[in-house]
Order: sequence, then structure tokens, then C-alpha cells
Amino acid sequence: MEKYYEKELLEELHDIQETYGFISEEDILRISQKRDIPKAQLYGVISFYSMFHLEPTGKYIVRVCDSVSCRLNESTTLVKALKDYLKVEENETTKDKKFTLEVVECLGHCDEGPVMMVNDTYYTHLTVTKAIQILDSLE
Amino acid sequence: MERIFLKKDLGKNLEEYDFLGLKNALKMQPQQVINKIKESGLRGRGGAGFPTGIKWETVFSIENDTKFIICNADEGEPGTFKDRFLMENLPFKVLEGIIISGYATGSKYGYIYIRGEYVEAIKIVKKAIEKLYEKNILGENILNSDFLFDLKLVRGAGAYVCGDETSLINSIEGDRGKSRIKPPLPVFEGLYGKPTVVNNVETLAAAAEIMSYDNNPYSQMGTEKSRGTKLVSISGDVNKPGVYEVEFGKLTVKDIVQELAGGVKGEKIGFVIPGGISTEALTEEELDVPYTYENLQKMGSNIGSGGMIVVSSQRNHLEIVKNVSDFFRDETCGTCFPCREGNKNINKIVSDIYKRGYPTSHEIEIISDIQYAVSSAARCGFGESSLNLILSIFEKFYTKKVEV
Repeated sequence: MEKYYEKELLEELHDIQETYGFISEEDILRISQKRDIPKAQLYGVISFYSMFHLEPTGKYIVRVCDSVSCRLNESTTLVKALKDYLKVEENETTKDKKFTLEVVECLGHCDEGPVMMVNDTYYTHLTVTKAIQILDSLE
Repeated sequence: MERIFLKKDLGKNLEEYDFLGLKNALKMQPQQVINKIKESGLRGRGGAGFPTGIKWETVFSIENDTKFIICNADEGEPGTFKDRFLMENLPFKVLEGIIISGYATGSKYGYIYIRGEYVEAIKIVKKAIEKLYEKNILGENILNSDFLFDLKLVRGAGAYVCGDETSLINSIEGDRGKSRIKPPLPVFEGLYGKPTVVNNVETLAAAAEIMSYDNNPYSQMGTEKSRGTKLVSISGDVNKPGVYEVEFGKLTVKDIVQELAGGVKGEKIGFVIPGGISTEALTEEELDVPYTYENLQKMGSNIGSGGMIVVSSQRNHLEIVKNVSDFFRDETCGTCFPCREGNKNINKIVSDIYKRGYPTSHEIEIISDIQYAVSSAARCGFGESSLNLILSIFEKFYTKKVEV
């Protein structure tokens, strides 16, 4: 029965990404050999999930929700302001490698929108000023 | 938050929590536990509303050394956040429900699959699992009984479709979260081909609560077809958004919006999405309907996951339609043709309509045809319901106003 309780692939990928910030080609080769899964299949799995990255990201990943409930709380304005402030488009990283901006589907704080997540921290009831202050305060 | 059923344990830590539901269950035979859940009338709270006791009984009746319980905590439906509330505030109740379902079905292994974005819930549940192992409530000889049960947490990684039970199973197995063709149903061939119960977070928490009573107060609440209570998460244009526990049949949808959520922000209600963005919109005139499975179905809509979104009449309805359509275009797993191409094509049409500011009758006809094709031919609940809201808004708000 133990085989079912090996570390699940998704958990292993999460752990790698938490350590290195992204999942590298070397990691993929290693997992492919260890688990006997073709590399192409691994790429298929990794690219399917929006939280996994195959390229290095910024020090801070800024995830802004733009789904219905947040949209009703003016998330569009927030998304635009963050793009302007960081001078990036969706899924891009700033030149100084500090921030990666992602516009995501529902973060589950629909009653407290608009919402953004910076790495593992949630910020709710945001205004543009507040959001920019938060990003400014990060070193 | 108004609390009816889950009230007594809110915010309790492990020392204060009594695990009475599990203790009671362990004194009974599995079939007796199943009978009690069946008698309670509990239906799955993830959206489909399937009777929980029957699902458990099916897995119990199959002889197999290995069976699995999966707690589906991949709550990603925009507007729905009640499972996050439960995991963050009542983690022991959720875990207790998983262990009870393991006992009732003869399963020794359980998973809780939490969406990766719920970092806080993940931290809390992970810690709660560790504590339960320390306290001998997970592992071997649980609470000095013969029952052994192991539980693991798996994090999702950003894919809405993994909320579908077969996609979720593929995801735990390390594959893309693509849906499987049914049959076979997961109760017969689920995780690693073994009999598997997949239950929503709220379902399992309610099951634990039901087991904690000697009598069955849950079945006394609600209506014949909608027993007990439901957590409703309300957001959008209301004054008091949040998670409310509603006894089925006691309040109308309008009462929920007006009395619990403090009424609409703006002139008046434009429409209400009653159960997450996979459910059909209700217009203001349609809101005097008691909140039950059967009544919402009569109205052509659904309780869904309980994620109620209120949209004021001053909003541009087409912006909502476009947003929802973008969501489904981006989140389809792409495995089955009707869902992948249907959602893509609808999105093109919706984008044109949004730019122009109104739909033509021909466009609504095409959308209706595509909706019919996708909902009848898609593999899983995602495709089946992905166009419900979009079509309902066009039918209810735009058919009379368009050029012929």
C-alpha cells in the first residue's frame, strides 16, 4: 500500500518550486527518471497548472483576482494601476526581477474584494493607493 | 454570521473539541452510520446535490482491500468561499467528517485536496492533521478502537476544473486535471482504480455534525427534499457580504439578500447568481422563491455550491457575461471537444457583443445552440454547466431588446 503514499507528484513540484522559485529542466529530468514518467508528460502536467513556473519568476509573485465578485469591487481599475505601476503586462516580471504580475481567477475572498496575494500573504479591501503602498514597502 | 447547525464548535481548538461525531460512529457498525446519514437526508454540498448516504453505501458494499475517501477542497467557483471558511474556522469538524466517512465505507486511506491558492487553509489543515496524529485520532487504533485511517493533504496548483471529481482524481495521481469519461463512476473505479468516495468539505463537516447527535435534528430542518442547512457565501453588490448558514425553506432568495446580506448596493437588484457562476441568473422578479434545491430547480436554476453573487441593476450586464465567458474559456481542461471548442466559440461571440453593446437575435440563437450541444455532450459538470449563466442572462435580459 505504501506506493499510494509516496509523495504525490503535485506535492513534489510544489516543494521544488517553493525552494527554487521555479521548476527547472534538471528537476524535470530527475523526476522523469525517478518516477519513470516521460519528460513530455511532465511538461504537460506542469504547464497545465497555472501556479507552476518553468522559468524563474520575480522575488514577489503578485496575484490579483479579476473574477466576477472582485470585478464588482472595481478590480479592473486595480489591475490596470498595478500594470502601470510595475510597467509590466500579465504574467511578466519587472526588469529588476522583483515582481511578477499574475491576473488570476478567484482567490476565494469574494466578500472582501478587490483582493491580491503577494507570495503567501492576502490583502483584501484594496484601493489602488493601498496596493501600491504594500508593494512599495516590500524590500 | 448567523449560525444554526455548526454553531457550537466555531473557533474551538483541539483541547475544546469533543469529536463526539467520531466517537458515536465508532460505537456503531458502519451500516448503522450509513443509515444515520441516509436518514438525515444530507445531499452533497459541492454543487451536484447527490445523496451522501447512498454514495457511502455504494463504496461500503464493494469488497476491496483498498478504498479511498477524498475530501474535495478545490473550491474555485467565483463567488464561493464557504469551504475556505470551514477549513479556516472548523478544521477539526472537516477532518472528523473525513475519518467518519472512512469508517463508514471501510476505507483506510483519505486525501484532502485543497486548492493551492488557499495558503491559509492549507497551513491550518496541515497543522490540524499533525495534531490528530499526535492525539491518536488519525493513524492506528483510532481512539482505542480497531479502526485505522491515514490522511494526507495534497495541494492543487491552480486549475478550476480540478473541482470536478474525476479531474481531481487525475490530479492526485499526478496527471493533468482532465476529466474522465463516466462510467465508471469513482465509487466503483476512482483513485488508482479503487472504489472512492469524493465528498465536498461542507458535506463532510455536516456529516460529522449529524453524527454528534443521538437523535437526528438535521432531518428535522429544511424541507422533504432539502434537509438541514446550507452555507451560503454572498458577495457582489450587497452591504454585508459574507458566509451565512441558512435553513432550507425558511428564507427566500430575496430574504437572504435583503435580510442577511443587508440589501443591494445601488438602485435595485439587476440579477442574482444563486449558486456560483455555473448557475442560471435570477431576475429581481424571480427572487421570492424559497431557498431549496427543488424550488430553485423549478425556477430553472440551482443551489450549486451556494456562492450567491448579487449584481445591481446599474451594472453593465454584458461585462459580467464577458468576464464569466473568459473564465470558462481559460479554465476548460480542453480534453473534450464540446467544452473546449464550445467555450472558445461562445467567447468570440460574447466579445463581439460586448464591444457592440448589444446582441443580435441570430447571436442569441447560436449561443443557445452551442449551449445545448456543450451541456449535453461534455464529459463533466464543468462543460455541462459552463454556459448556463451566460445563456440565462441573454434570454432574460436581451431577447426583447435586440434588432430582428
